[in-house]
Amino acid sequence: MSARLDATRVLLRIAFRNLVASRVRTVIIGLIVLVGALIVVVGASLMESIDRGMRTSIQGSLGGQLQVYQSTSEGQLELYGGLRGESLLDPIPDFARVKKVLSKVPNVKTIVPMGIDQALVATGNAFDVTLERLRADVRRLQANPRDGEARRGLEARQAHVRRLIALLDQDLRQAQVLADPDGRDAALRKAQRADLDRAAAPEFWPAFERDRLAGLEFLENKIAPLALDSGFTFIRYVGTDVEAFMKAFDLAEVAEGKPIPPGRRGILLGKQYAEEWLKLKNARRLDQIKDKRDRFHARIASSEELQRWVKDTRSRAREILIQLDPLQAAEAERRLRPALKAPQGEELPALLARLFDLDDANFDDHYRIFYEQLAPLLRLYQISVGDTITIKAPGKTGAFNAVNVKVYGFIQFKGIEKSGIAGTTSVMDLQSFRDLYGYVTRDKAEELAKLRAQMGATTVSREEAEAALFGGGASAPLVETTRTAAIDDASLLAGVGEKRKAAQALETRAYTQEEIDGGVALNAAILLDDPSRIRESQAAVQAAADAAGLKLKVVDWETASGMVGQFVLLLRGILVFALVVFFGVALVIINNAMVMAALQRVKEVGTMRAIGAQRRFVVAMLLVEIVAVSLVFGVAGAALGGGVVAIIRAAGGIPATTDLLFFLFSGPALLPHLGVASVAASLILVVAVAIASALYPALIAMRVTPVEAMSMED
Amino acid sequence: MSIISVRDVSKDYLLGKTQVHALRGVTLTVERGEFLSVAGPSGSGKTTLLNLIGCVDTPTTGVVEVAGRDTSRLTERALTDLRLHQIGFIFQSFNLVQVLSVFQNVEFPLLLQGGLTRAERAVRVQGLLEAVGIREYGRHRPSELSGGQRQRVAVARALVTRPALVLADEPTANLDSQTGQNIIDLMREMNRKDGTTFVFSTHDPKVMAHANAIVRIADGVVAGREPVGAMA
Repeated sequence: MSARLDATRVLLRIAFRNLVASRVRTVIIGLIVLVGALIVVVGASLMESIDRGMRTSIQGSLGGQLQVYQSTSEGQLELYGGLRGESLLDPIPDFARVKKVLSKVPNVKTIVPMGIDQALVATGNAFDVTLERLRADVRRLQANPRDGEARRGLEARQAHVRRLIALLDQDLRQAQVLADPDGRDAALRKAQRADLDRAAAPEFWPAFERDRLAGLEFLENKIAPLALDSGFTFIRYVGTDVEAFMKAFDLAEVAEGKPIPPGRRGILLGKQYAEEWLKLKNARRLDQIKDKRDRFHARIASSEELQRWVKDTRSRAREILIQLDPLQAAEAERRLRPALKAPQGEELPALLARLFDLDDANFDDHYRIFYEQLAPLLRLYQISVGDTITIKAPGKTGAFNAVNVKVYGFIQFKGIEKSGIAGTTSVMDLQSFRDLYGYVTRDKAEELAKLRAQMGATTVSREEAEAALFGGGASAPLVETTRTAAIDDASLLAGVGEKRKAAQALETRAYTQEEIDGGVALNAAILLDDPSRIRESQAAVQAAADAAGLKLKVVDWETASGMVGQFVLLLRGILVFALVVFFGVALVIINNAMVMAALQRVKEVGTMRAIGAQRRFVVAMLLVEIVAVSLVFGVAGAALGGGVVAIIRAAGGIPATTDLLFFLFSGPALLPHLGVASVAASLILVVAVAIASALYPALIAMRVTPVEAMSMED
Repeated sequence: MSIISVRDVSKDYLLGKTQVHALRGVTLTVERGEFLSVAGPSGSGKTTLLNLIGCVDTPTTGVVEVAGRDTSRLTERALTDLRLHQIGFIFQSFNLVQVLSVFQNVEFPLLLQGGLTRAERAVRVQGLLEAVGIREYGRHRPSELSGGQRQRVAVARALVTRPALVLADEPTANLDSQTGQNIIDLMREMNRKDGTTFVFSTHDPKVMAHANAIVRIADGVVAGREPVGAMA
């Protein structure tokens, strides 16, 4: 053994001295290896971090480790939506059964039923909000006619409504200039005009004082719908067993408000969704400008985008004016004047113009003033915690279904609060989802029965329908009473009251776990006790489902994430491609350098062979050289890569400039993590590439015969 | 038993497109302790013969036995071992490893062989360096030495394993006559002291004079073998 040891020692000595002797070649090969190791370390660390970020984001927000859905589905499950909108899934008819079967599979911790879809949500406008306040004042006065504060509030609110009506009048006149007076909707427009004239007339408010409730109904039903900015926005929600959902997904947290009480109907709106779609545009723009300034060091002076936002903010001051009633407007003036150091007597429009005249110097101050002074007076979000909202969606049959759900709060996912991918998802109870989706739940059946009784409708079978419609044979009229002809305010109010009561009953009803589980779901997330055993569990879940005759498809979270997952696949592909190209080039260069080295040393190698060195000795000598170079420079490159990673971390990470990145990074910035595995892998990779590129030169060296070292006298 | 036994050996090789018959039926026996010179004009086949004896080449026909082993029956690895343990080479152009010091060049075969401790190796190498008269150059690199000094290193390297047989191909061709003389004297002394067998090729009559026998080769065959005593 000592022979081998001695030989190894001299082999190392020769190899190292050769490296030192041909410095230029060593440095060239070394630099290539160094850059290679650097790229691999940084790239692998980034990929690993993105992987981890994505895993955190997906598993912690919607995905769990596994997802199941009906295998007969036309489309594939895409948790975050695909190019063509939401996944086309056949419903799982009986979730309770799925839960029962799959819970028994080892390593399965929780199964959370889900139904992900988009729907329309009605957003109130300033008019609605003001009328709501007016109604509150009216109620207080009704209860206590001597309530002075309510009386003052009522007057302020009335002034506010008067101003809104005036603005509405302007808008409607403008719109009607453009409209064809004899067009299809001419009659409707005429009616609208008449309503608005009635509301704008001086005698309206004295009449309102005589019958406030009737006046309110008129304003709510006839005038508020005319407001042009009222409308619907889209909402993306996951209908789920909310209690189980919040327990299973550790990233989910209620940002404002409170969790939906167990078993109740309700919705938690996506915080980011609220920011983007429901927030007062001025406030939203200010937030965006602040974000760009703080995180990306953008400046208003130099960024066209920020300048556009500033302009937008300025032109939207009117929305704030509309929101404030005279009392609030006066309060706003009182607060803003000193804060903005404005002259005494400057009015709110001028103050707002001053506030929103933003530049880099005053932005932070004005931002603070907006939120400290003005915001408390404003309704910042179109939907607030505690509101009951109406959500509409086309059901299974194509007809629109609507549900009213109470907003208990805003939900966000820790770390990825600002991601448009997870953050815009709202969480709703499963019963409401089923209603919306068009599956008759027990409640709905009851409600339908009640409605039918109320309206006097009889159930008509398909065969009888024609006869019923055209009067042939059947004697019973379809609808007994027509209630639309003469609406007296009292009956209208009574109807409203009834509806309210029914809605309240639905709102306060708590469903049992059996009720929640017993019904359809579109998919279900499975969380595992030990996530690292995901492959094994995926197979086990599939097997259990098959054995029980459930037509389920089991996919892992990455597949379920759809396009998002594919984006990461693409990133990884690009990195691998870049590495392959780089190492391909490196292979050629190192190979050439080493071939030259081998050829230069034919005589030396031949001498050694003649003296008694075995072939493996000279091959080892060459390989030791290349391994030594690639190790030394590879370690240096990896260290440098570690430095780059550290610098990126010290600089706050790679900022997530888009929603997608926010999601992939699982936070506002990617903080790459230097894994021992990635460093080791990079070293192994560069050394392997270096050895591969030295194989041919080694072959040359091996083929050198001792004869070639002998002098050729002949 | 003779250390070298060459019987009816021929060696053909291709030089470009022409077949060269370098040796055509050589028979030669060398006894242990001989100090043999192989003489002949350029192209006579001296180097080919030495290569065959040195186990770096194999004959086309015939048998070459070195230390009792038939070289054509040995594997590449066994041939290498034979070279390492039985034969010492002195090359015409010295062929030292440039990145190693003089001491390390001489030590090199011992390291390949293994078996000696560092101290034992040092004693052996120092002794040889002293014997060839370059003791004080042990730490130098070959490039810092003159031609004669380098050849001494090569001689020391060939002798350091105490081989039974030392082959030298024109050991003095690249040296001035005085240095060449010294090298021959050195080899002669080793031969006398340790009984090492020397076979060297040369066409320098002064060098031949030191041999105890001369084998003349011409045109690929042995033209004659004569004892030197008669010439001197």
